[in-house]
Amino acid sequence: MSLLRGLLGMELIGTSVRLFLDFQEKLASLDMRNLRFALKQEGHSRRDMFEILTRYAFPLAHSLPIFAFLNEEKFNVDGWMVYNPVEEYRRQGLPNHHWRISFINKCYELCDTYPALLVVPYRASDDDLRRVATFRSRNRIPVLSWIHPENKTVIVRCSQPLVGMSGKRNKDDEKYLDVIRETNRQISKLTIYDARPNVNAVANKATGGGYESDDAYHNTELFFLDIHNIHVMRESLKKVKDIVYPNVEESHWLSSLESTHWLEHIKLVLTGAIQVADKVSSGKSSVLVHCSDGWDRTAQLTSLAMLMLDSFYRSIEGFEILVQKEWISFGHKFASRIGHGDKNHADADRSPIFLQFIDCVWQMSKQFPTAFEFNERFLITILDHLYSCRFGTFLYNCESAREKQKVTERTVSLWSLINSNKDTYKNPFYTKEINRVLYPVASMRHLELWVNYYIRWNPRIKQQQPNPVEQRYVELLALRDEYIQRLEELQLASSAKLSDPSTSPSGPAQMMPHVHTHF
Amino acid sequence: MDEIEFSSTGSGWGSRSEVLAVGWGNSCETVRSLLPRGLLNSCPAGVSSCPASSCPFPSARSPRLTLLESVLLPGPRPTTGGMEFLELIRTGRAQVKLLRGPEAPPLRGTLCVTGHHLLLSPGPQGTSDLWLLLLRSVDSIEKRVSGDSGTITLRCKDLRVLQLDIEGVEATLDIARSIEALSSLESVITSFPFFYRPRGLRLGDAWHFHPPERYYKRVARETNAWRLSEVNEDFSLCPSYPRAVIVPRAVDDDALARCARFRQGGRFPVLSYHHAPSGTVLLRSSQPLTGPQKRRCAEDEELLRAVLAGARPGAPGFILDTRSAQAAKQAGVTVGGTEAKAAYPGWKRLHRPLEKGRPLQESFVRLVEACGDLEKSMDGWLSQLEACCWLAHVKEALSTACLAAWGMEREEACILVHGAEGMDNTLLVTSLAQIILDPLSRTMTGFQELVEREWIQAGHPFQLRCAHSAFSHAQPKHEAPTFLLFLDCVWQLGRQFPLSLEFGEGLLLALFEHAYASPFGTFLCSSEKERCLCEVRTRTHSLWSGLNQPKVRRKLRNPLYIPNPLAIWPSVEPQSLQLWQGLFLRWIRPPEPSQVAWEKVWQRLASKEKTEDCESTSKPQS
Repeated sequence: MSLLRGLLGMELIGTSVRLFLDFQEKLASLDMRNLRFALKQEGHSRRDMFEILTRYAFPLAHSLPIFAFLNEEKFNVDGWMVYNPVEEYRRQGLPNHHWRISFINKCYELCDTYPALLVVPYRASDDDLRRVATFRSRNRIPVLSWIHPENKTVIVRCSQPLVGMSGKRNKDDEKYLDVIRETNRQISKLTIYDARPNVNAVANKATGGGYESDDAYHNTELFFLDIHNIHVMRESLKKVKDIVYPNVEESHWLSSLESTHWLEHIKLVLTGAIQVADKVSSGKSSVLVHCSDGWDRTAQLTSLAMLMLDSFYRSIEGFEILVQKEWISFGHKFASRIGHGDKNHADADRSPIFLQFIDCVWQMSKQFPTAFEFNERFLITILDHLYSCRFGTFLYNCESAREKQKVTERTVSLWSLINSNKDTYKNPFYTKEINRVLYPVASMRHLELWVNYYIRWNPRIKQQQPNPVEQRYVELLALRDEYIQRLEELQLASSAKLSDPSTSPSGPAQMMPHVHTHF
Repeated sequence: MDEIEFSSTGSGWGSRSEVLAVGWGNSCETVRSLLPRGLLNSCPAGVSSCPASSCPFPSARSPRLTLLESVLLPGPRPTTGGMEFLELIRTGRAQVKLLRGPEAPPLRGTLCVTGHHLLLSPGPQGTSDLWLLLLRSVDSIEKRVSGDSGTITLRCKDLRVLQLDIEGVEATLDIARSIEALSSLESVITSFPFFYRPRGLRLGDAWHFHPPERYYKRVARETNAWRLSEVNEDFSLCPSYPRAVIVPRAVDDDALARCARFRQGGRFPVLSYHHAPSGTVLLRSSQPLTGPQKRRCAEDEELLRAVLAGARPGAPGFILDTRSAQAAKQAGVTVGGTEAKAAYPGWKRLHRPLEKGRPLQESFVRLVEACGDLEKSMDGWLSQLEACCWLAHVKEALSTACLAAWGMEREEACILVHGAEGMDNTLLVTSLAQIILDPLSRTMTGFQELVEREWIQAGHPFQLRCAHSAFSHAQPKHEAPTFLLFLDCVWQLGRQFPLSLEFGEGLLLALFEHAYASPFGTFLCSSEKERCLCEVRTRTHSLWSGLNQPKVRRKLRNPLYIPNPLAIWPSVEPQSLQLWQGLFLRWIRPPEPSQVAWEKVWQRLASKEKTEDCESTSKPQS
């Protein structure tokens, strides 16, 4: 049943029904599988079978509910409790003197694709926000995503300003950006990263969009990050699919891979995120990130930059919160990009933006094998259920739609599955390091194709002996836990015995920093 | 002098900050280890005659340097040519700034050229440690002068690129000339291994590593169809074979002697590996000298017949030729050739052409060039990588080894591998096949034995093949990175089977460095015979004893290892093979070098032991 969720097209050939699992024609699922059901001649007619499959594979086209609403799985952890925006902002130290939590969007009136709860500058009134909203595409006003715990610079996200051909200006928007800049007195300029290539930003003026010009926004500096739009990404991934399915390209593998430009796009996204992270961690400037609508490339950049800056997001729970916050609550259009239950696979809105983000995370985890609490399986599981419709997590385009459908009441969260069986997804080499900024190398030399994901169904590229590896990981995890426990015992014992632990030159007292840094 | 530490980079010496993977020896031991034993106290020519007395360094400024220098400066041991290093050193010192790549901060200080090393003393105010580089590890040197200063770029055999900014044109030119002369010395017995005396190691320690004999004991436990022959005791039969070889019991030494005359370079078929589970064997040899007259050799035919007779009844035999069928035929026009079908019943011939010699070296050079070309736009990186063909060579080597292993394990066949001379690709195939099949060769000790037995003792001409690495401007003569290709293949295996190798990347990197330039004698010379003549065993230290010191060995371990009794069949699809970043991008690495990561992993595992120690120390208190 759950297999059918990922289905997107099928045809009758000979005596069998051929199914195109997602990726065959649309690009949504990179499952890269085609299934063929060979049916015995007797029994049900093939036509019936085909129709049933079609109906259940594309429920929306047949007015049927998505599987997640029928799924009655029970888990002992409730994944919907993972993300609580107030708690997450409190963890970041908000509200503070300069930033407040606003409920202006409680009923999604200010912006229907934003979450109910927003963090905005203290000095901006609700009326200011409303006026700024009129000047931003789809009312997606600049709001805080992350604040640096020490230097108090921030990452702010939004959509493009509605400048248009005539070069319109909006005093409120200009003032608002200045207010954001002034939340930190040390900085003289607000840095704006426009994720798009320069030409695309200019072209957007024709449809009413655009970017912040120097004349209107005095205390800002604008950079373009050259990341292409959803259509380019979709075509690029389609090319990747073409070289790995149905036959894996052999003779000129590397140059074929190069011609897909997939890794190059990954590189640009990572490079952009590194720039954002670097700017913020240097404390020289706060950063405002936008693309066109601020729900694709913007989400990639802010979430990757936050992953580099904040070690909390590198834990399993932290990563779930990151996805829940920057992607799900801020309205990445999962329903449109993935097309859950929709048979129209040629839809131009489909695009593997979230997959690309996960690929970037995987590249980072390759370069920093000890920095992430989760393993590769965690990332693959997320992607599998991005398409599977087994959980409600990735359904619908925005929070308001989810609320309307009562998703949290009627479906199970993916995080329930993961958090009730966390050990499976843990990286035994994880070393918790607070306040360490990760700068991956975004050079083609250091990026690789995620073979274990994109080509995992090919038996010739089989993941070698996956079970022993996982088995060994479990052993290592157990070893680690045992170690921690024994250390705690030792610490207890020694603190009871030694009146002044600082005088003891060796032994448990010295081991303590070990515990904290390495476990 | 406490600060110096012997770095893993056998080819070089690094300050502590540089030492990543393996640092052996603790602090002051290093200085002592530098002393050619006896050179200090009973230096044949007396230390006073060493240039130390005309030392350019005011000893008050850097006493530690003076001491070191007196130790490192050319030992007056008479050399074969009667030439002393001193004559080659045009200038002793200069003020320099050393740039060590993008990550490391520059070092400033006084540079000193000695007989075997470059050393840089940061001076009294210097915060960093003394820096050393083995001159033998310099692959190419480039000098530029402008105004009153000059720049020397040293490209090392371990693929590192160093830049020295030197004050004074004259000094630059002199130092460049000295380095050039000293790094290209070819004499074996004046090389550094003959002077290197690390503390904690005794001469001759690991030379008991006699794999043919040791390996024979294992074979003898499994089968009695084979015997250890000392027919090559005086290297007269085959100069590139060790003294003892394993041959079929049914063939006597006289027959072996006649076989040897029928094979190029005397390399008659010998046992490489006995695969106990299927009772079959892997043999290696060189090509038969059939020539245009289609000569035959009854003893050679008898030997191969005896091999099949000793295996499972009815076992087929395969001769795996590492040349193309055409190249093999070509060889037959002159002196070489292949085994005629009619003459060797039961044996079938397969051709799996593997690249060797110059094309392989060129592929290596192109790859290193591409990796080091940071200026160039990265757009074409993947197609550039493909154009180097290095990964294609890796793929071919692995799939040929798989074929040999498959034949033994699944077809239960005996396999004879040879190319032309049988000391390059032949060894590549036999050694890789063993790693695929034999769980013992995947252990730390087993792998070292394999390298010793299948490469060093089997006569891979390291002296010729590793004379230069990828940077040399000289026209390659005999250079070829076959051994590096082997290490790369092993790395690929380790990547695909992260649990099955007991050693980590560190050991492979160390072997790469030491094969090209080393303070140890293990990779010196091209054959056992030469090593005997040079008394390598008695006068130099073995790399194996260096690597097997508990402190070093522990760090070379793969913390994930669990013994795997099965054969490991790698995927050889191009998607499954990766560039060995740890080697080729080692000096232009990501911020967290995987070595550092592995170090952490290792710490994690070792922490259990620590807890136990901790527990035992805390118990007496209670």
